[in-house]
Amino acid sequence: MRNNSFFYFLTLNLLKEKRRFVGIVLISTLLIFLLSSVLFISSSIKTTLNSSLKAQPDFIVQNIKAGKVAPIKAEQVDKIVNIYGVNKVTKRVYGRYFFDDKYSALIVGVDFLDEQSSKKLVKIMNSVDLKSFLSKDNMLVGQGVLSYLKSHYYATNYNFLTPSGQMQKVNIFKALNAKSSLISNDMIIMPLELAQKVLGLKESELTDIALNVPNDSEWSNIKAKLESLNFSTRVVSKKDMKKAYENLFNYKGGLFLVLYLIVIATFSLLLYLRYSLASSLERKEIAILRAVGWSIKDVLELKFLENIFLVIFAFVLGSSLAYIYVFILGAPILKDIFLGGANLKQFATFTPVVDYSVLSTIFIVFAVAFLGSVLIPVWKIAVTEPKEAL
Amino acid sequence: MVTIENLNKFYEIDGQKQYVLNDIKLNIQKGECVILKGVSGSGKTTLLSIIAGLDKPSSGKVLVNGEPISKLPDMHLSAFRAEKIGIVFQNFNLLDGVSLLDNAIVPLVAAKVGLKEAKQKALNALKVANIEHKANKTPSELSGGEKQRGAIARALVANPNLILCDEPTANLDIANSLSFIQTLKELHHMGKTIIVATHDSLFEELDFKHRVVEISQGLLVDS
Ligand SMILES: Nc1ncnc2c1ncn2[C@@H]1O[C@H](COP(=O)(O)OP(=O)(O)O)[C@@H](O)[C@H]1O
Ligand SMILES: [Mg+2]
Repeated sequence: MRNNSFFYFLTLNLLKEKRRFVGIVLISTLLIFLLSSVLFISSSIKTTLNSSLKAQPDFIVQNIKAGKVAPIKAEQVDKIVNIYGVNKVTKRVYGRYFFDDKYSALIVGVDFLDEQSSKKLVKIMNSVDLKSFLSKDNMLVGQGVLSYLKSHYYATNYNFLTPSGQMQKVNIFKALNAKSSLISNDMIIMPLELAQKVLGLKESELTDIALNVPNDSEWSNIKAKLESLNFSTRVVSKKDMKKAYENLFNYKGGLFLVLYLIVIATFSLLLYLRYSLASSLERKEIAILRAVGWSIKDVLELKFLENIFLVIFAFVLGSSLAYIYVFILGAPILKDIFLGGANLKQFATFTPVVDYSVLSTIFIVFAVAFLGSVLIPVWKIAVTEPKEAL
Repeated sequence: MVTIENLNKFYEIDGQKQYVLNDIKLNIQKGECVILKGVSGSGKTTLLSIIAGLDKPSSGKVLVNGEPISKLPDMHLSAFRAEKIGIVFQNFNLLDGVSLLDNAIVPLVAAKVGLKEAKQKALNALKVANIEHKANKTPSELSGGEKQRGAIARALVANPNLILCDEPTANLDIANSLSFIQTLKELHHMGKTIIVATHDSLFEELDFKHRVVEISQGLLVDS
């Protein structure tokens, strides 16, 4: 065990070398900052996507008309319900409503009398008096919608313009907090029939039909059955959605490659700097220490502790700055690299997610390479006879 | 104290053995002050390095305090060097950016002495070397003579019984050189065994008991 005089000397050495180390610590911090930022952003995106995928149904059945997604007949639901192995068949009516060219909200129609649909909304509905909600044309709005309507129109109601050119007045029944993952800031929930009117659907029409297939091995079988319902039926599976999400990121691969190259180049530069510092400037210091009685082990231990301190300092500083940059400041600049033009509403801010296993991998790789670049030359110097001190 | 028998040191250059030390035989008693004299390149530094265990002989036997210094494992040798040998280097070899007091602590850190005791010992050593008034100055703030005294303090701090000095006056003016010799005399009276490698003629007329050993082209010559 080391005594206090050893640690005194270690501190002394760190303080004495601070000018020498400032550049190395700065580059290290920057490097860790960059790597951790990329890590924080990608794990946050991954988690958000996964949770939004989780909320998705296994299959969505759409109707294709003239090559475009068109409303689907509600009667299809009866046929789908009869397919063996299918459950949670849900009528879905939704669409984006553009208030002006800057602001839009997602209108979601809910069949409040259908147990299946309203089950998901149980948490929200607990705070809503369903009877009075359904007695008039009412809607529940997210906080973002409320503040938009408040500042541009009224806080009590809004006149939607339907595709057929009519006005549809809907009262704001209540604003909902975006705490539930099902409700976003820019979401409007209204009864199914009302949503149909606002979105210009007939009573017999739905946007699409969602359903689940609890048994994974039935997926392809049921997909085929769904597709054979009607020649114009299109079936989107959760797997397809997942692939689409993944593609969204992979096509940015080139930029990531550049980023990684920058990181690797900086890291090599850092290791080179550290290596040459250890093999030149520290050579005399080590020879002196050895000459006045320090063993090889003493020298290696001093240098190890000295540099592990630098590594930890740079790592803590770099990753904390990255945390602030990504999760508090919303990662300006880097965000554009990641998401590019893809205007994904769910990434207005990044949900704080820290992937500790990747973070510790970064730490270990950084620490091992950094310490290696110091301890190898130090060891080489320390084991040679320290006669050059004389 | 120091026993050297059949010591050889050579470097292999183009397949040829270049002898730097040739069959050296030397016996130094405890408390002796030996002046190792010789022109530049005669092998003085090499001999001191081998005695201090900083360099390895090509062949021969070197005992310091009864220990076969060239055969000790590093841990053992380093501890021995930290506690039993004090070295004053030609170019002082103080650590830059570190005060004289902290420089003087360095051997004690290796000897695992606690900080409080180490500081006390370092301060005492600075007193003996007559430089305690500059204890908090770093080498860059000091003159050659002051650095020299700082280096002496470091060499004395662990209270070693063998003190090796390599060209101690080479970088000093005459006044500082004479003052160094005065310090040497005090160390001699303290009973330290001293070896000074030098080609400075000031060491030829010391006013205390000493032995002069001359080395020439790696050979000891009687004088
Ligand atoms: N690594 C080495 N390789 C070859 N020759 C060396 C080496 N180190 C020292 N020498 C030679 O050893 C001789 C003695 O050197 P040194 O002991 O420093 O002499 P002094 O201290 O008396 O001036 C010199 O001729 C020098 O060139
Ligand atoms: Mg010499």
